Amino acid sequence: MKISEIVSKYHCTVYTESIYNPDKEINFGFCADLMSDALMIMNTVRQENILKNTILITGLATNQSIRTAEMLDVQVVILVRGKIPANQVIELASESNIILIGTDHTMFNFSGELYQEGIRGITSKK
Amino acid sequence: MEPSKHYDIHPFDFDHAGKMSSDVKKTLKQAGLNFDFIKRVSVAAYEAEINIVIHSVGGYADFKMIDNVVYLQFIDYGPGIENIELAMTPGYSTANEISQLNGFGAGMGLINIKNSCDEMSLLSDPNGTVLKLKFIMTEDHYRVD
Repeated sequence: MKISEIVSKYHCTVYTESIYNPDKEINFGFCADLMSDALMIMNTVRQENILKNTILITGLATNQSIRTAEMLDVQVVILVRGKIPANQVIELASESNIILIGTDHTMFNFSGELYQEGIRGITSKK
Repeated sequence: MEPSKHYDIHPFDFDHAGKMSSDVKKTLKQAGLNFDFIKRVSVAAYEAEINIVIHSVGGYADFKMIDNVVYLQFIDYGPGIENIELAMTPGYSTANEISQLNGFGAGMGLINIKNSCDEMSLLSDPNGTVLKLKFIMTEDHYRVD
């Protein structure tokens, strides 16, 4: 699914206009408010093309969501529940080449919608 | 590339937390190493960097790359880990509310670090903590483009 489809279907705000790529393909997702969990589970993924096409779904609107995505090579972060990032978070995302978007949907509902679209979750591989 | 780098890490500076790990990641990328190796080092570096931000009065990190080994060491000036065995138990955490608001403090940091590296040593007393990590590259860690 293209990110532009997600943005228009779920009324998302694009915060990082300067690096926004509407054709960016999203095939996988991971939900976490706890960045340790995101780091732990996604660190077990060995294939680069999986994380590159993963969206990190979070309610954590701080720099740490962006840094976590950066460490994992995840290129898209969505803030759910209407969380609004501070300017410095948007700047860090742009500098780090991470597309930051936001939606008013809750984490559960947004994830459920994406699942119906065929997007699948990242699970731990040991 | 530079064989070694030094970074200062400041307590409760959540705005800059992750800067060191980000720089380490860029250095490894420039060195042409593969995705999985870079990810393992970056994730461990980030967790360790966050640990200094959350738990210490401040400290620093050193990065070194010699032949096929990446060395990271994290040193802080206290107050130390009271019980290392307990700190290595999944779920055990002494992190405060501010850390939790920043998405950390689930008691998984040290375990995640241990799982990411090839060798780890941890020494701690009230004067400070020394965490040393070793990551060994094998041939398939070099990216062939």
